[in-house]
Amino acid sequence: MEISITKGTVDIISVNGSVDALTSPELVKVLNDHIHNGHPNIVVDFEKVEFMSSAGLRAILASVKEARTAGGDFRLAAPQPSIEKVLKMAGFHNIVKIYPTVSEAIASFG
Amino acid sequence: MAETQRQITLPAELEALPLFREHIKNACQDKAGLDAQSIYDVLLAVDEICTNIITHGYAGMDPGSIILNVEVSAQALIVTISDFGHAFEPVEPPTPNANASLEEREAGGLGLFFVFSSVDEINYESSPVGNTTRLIKNL
Repeated sequence: MEISITKGTVDIISVNGSVDALTSPELVKVLNDHIHNGHPNIVVDFEKVEFMSSAGLRAILASVKEARTAGGDFRLAAPQPSIEKVLKMAGFHNIVKIYPTVSEAIASFG
Repeated sequence: MAETQRQITLPAELEALPLFREHIKNACQDKAGLDAQSIYDVLLAVDEICTNIITHGYAGMDPGSIILNVEVSAQALIVTISDFGHAFEPVEPPTPNANASLEEREAGGLGLFFVFSSVDEINYESSPVGNTTRLIKNL
């Protein structure tokens, strides 16, 4: 898994690869560090995530809570169909805002 | 009916997870026309079972190994996972409440929920020599 951060009006955190029990602790750390560094509004770009297990959902849940506690929001962009299915199976579409593209996710912050 | 079997043995460590997934993907390449979602469903179920074996099955023991065997036929994708840790029978958890608020969400139990949602059959056997979990995805 690789993570890159693009600064902007809303920062974009792009994830590439697999989010599983091996890699999810690093994802939580990067997201939460970013949120605590004064950037509670984040778009997490999942376009290049090819695999995610329940460990990835735990990472998302932890960071969504962290962002909202800090007065911002975590919005997910461009998940592949298989990843979106995992999110929906767990009912995460009701607690995390998911957008088809990064630009729509950024625009949603107004 | 033509059938392919591929076996891999790796140490029971989280670092093995991507290698197990790669092994299954390679085995699936032998059969043309397997749909991507069926392969993903099996990858997810296997990943969750192996994560449980690594984090719970071998807890408090010397790290052992996991043997993963993949059988691909025209009718089914079958993955047999063998380990030598504590018995850890997968039991179907309740379906997560999709309407629960963020504060009420618990992340535990999702792994086994995905296993039971992703494959058609789960068989588990435990004996003094080890444990075997067999996952069957009908094609």
